[in-house]
Amino acid sequence: MRRREYAYLVAPSVLVMFGLLVIPLVRTIQWSFERVRYGQPGTFVGLDNYRDAVTDPRFLSAVSFTVAVTVAVVTVLVVGGYLLAVLVNGLVRVRPLVLGLLLVSYVVPGLIGATMFSWLFNDNFGGVVNQLISALGLPEVLWFTSTWANRALVAASVVWSLVPFSMMVILAGLQGVPKELLEAARMDGAGTLRTHWSVIAPSIRGVLGFVTLISIMDVLRLFDQLIPLSPQAVQIGNESLVLYIYNRAFLDGGQQLGLGSAMNVLLILLIVVMLLPFIRDTAREGRS
Amino acid sequence: MANQEAVERPTTTEGRDAGRGRARLHTTPRGPRTSRARKVLAGVVLAVVCLLMLSPVLWTAFSVIKPTNVAFLNPPVYRFEPTLDAFVNLWQTTNFYQYLINTLVVAVISTAVALVIGLPAAYALSRSPGWVSVVLLVAALVFRALPRTAVVLPMYEISRSLGIYDTTLALALALVAINQPFSIWLLRNFFAAVPREIDEAAMLDGCTRLSMLRLVIIPLMGPGIITAGLFMFLFAFQEYLTAVILTDVSSATVPVFIATQLGQTLPLLQQAGAASLLLTAPVFLFAFVAQKYLIAGLNAGSVKG
Repeated sequence: MRRREYAYLVAPSVLVMFGLLVIPLVRTIQWSFERVRYGQPGTFVGLDNYRDAVTDPRFLSAVSFTVAVTVAVVTVLVVGGYLLAVLVNGLVRVRPLVLGLLLVSYVVPGLIGATMFSWLFNDNFGGVVNQLISALGLPEVLWFTSTWANRALVAASVVWSLVPFSMMVILAGLQGVPKELLEAARMDGAGTLRTHWSVIAPSIRGVLGFVTLISIMDVLRLFDQLIPLSPQAVQIGNESLVLYIYNRAFLDGGQQLGLGSAMNVLLILLIVVMLLPFIRDTAREGRS
Repeated sequence: MANQEAVERPTTTEGRDAGRGRARLHTTPRGPRTSRARKVLAGVVLAVVCLLMLSPVLWTAFSVIKPTNVAFLNPPVYRFEPTLDAFVNLWQTTNFYQYLINTLVVAVISTAVALVIGLPAAYALSRSPGWVSVVLLVAALVFRALPRTAVVLPMYEISRSLGIYDTTLALALALVAINQPFSIWLLRNFFAAVPREIDEAAMLDGCTRLSMLRLVIIPLMGPGIITAGLFMFLFAFQEYLTAVILTDVSSATVPVFIATQLGQTLPLLQQAGAASLLLTAPVFLFAFVAQKYLIAGLNAGSVKG
């Protein structure tokens, strides 16, 4: 392809990315060095915002909450998605029906799904889960006010909305596993578990990596689910990074826009570091 | 599509072993009875999982069709006169249809624009390796992972100073920017599956690069484009954070509306439930129609990306 043609073809996309993503990003970086609020010019304060951010206990608690939720949820997503995919892969005639039913929680908007999810647990809405718990003679659980119960609730809701995605990707991967390979494993006398662990899972390593990558990206920016599921997120220490940035930099008229921007920059750095292996792979592939 | 190919791959080996492989696939060494027991067990497990996965939606539907005075009683009431009042109230007392229209307009516009812009770029990336392509691909990956706040908080200020704050245009533009990198990523993998020889043949027949793209390649890519479009639409349709920052009253979307109802009194909450269901119903259909394409897209994305 001639250079001129290439330029024409990528130009609209580059312009959009530059104008609508790079320019705002540069603004965020600039704000992170300023004391600034919406509608007023900022004053340069050097690294003050960064110092404030890393010494802010609320920020650190948001970081650890977000990272812990991400690790826990992504693990469940990969393992649970794999199990579900194996089950669905065994279906023939009812597969489209089952897939359609399972997909619903993924295609519903996150905030709306979490709202419906919260009503199962909320005593003001019949509290059907708590009814079940007390019917089983178990102690009452404060889903919205106790820190750990709320964490479990949030994690469960995120798993609920994302597990169809990991299931679908892994299912697509399973369909690409050569039948000869399974046959060979069977001839060698490998049991079901053994076949999954040493034959199937390694042969879809790329797919599992992709699921992990996308899931990390999606869970790290946890926000929507917390609005209905954790109305007291701040008080009980269940604020995610994005929620904290939103609360600090936007909600009160953007009074801490500089500080919020510094946190944004730190969050971007965290994400880039977590993505480094994938960035390396992408770069290698783009060259070939 | 790649997954279909895998399904249709012959299960038998060639030569004198032909047919034996196939027979073995149908009878496990454990004998048919254990195999049937396993199947039943798997079916039961799946049925329970499906029920659990749908339970939030079912419970919401159950609460919404109750009369308002018993809708949220604790313990829940199981005998009542079903009614559609919540839906009627939602329609009559709120601007729900307006929010619904906003959501759809924003999703359709941003999907169309992201596709029109993303298609040629993805094609160029798939055909011409080089450092520019590498930079664009890595940028697309990083932008996909970016925290929304890092771009949307400045967009708030920019949209105010341009006078387009709280318009569907501003929201659609923001979503084009946020979702387009992923469309390049997805589409590139579909383009890569179209052999280059087709390009060359078309060029020999006198097509220009653009007319070849339009007349030959894009028709071949049908399913891939549908897949990418479905994902773009889904992401735009679901977006809450961007919408809550860039809109106020006149161009708010359904998720924003539902979030504002959350702290309200019970009748309004029941309306929020009705609104959630009204949004879930088309999405339900969508899930059934789109599953094939979504899986194809995920397959392409994961194999290459």
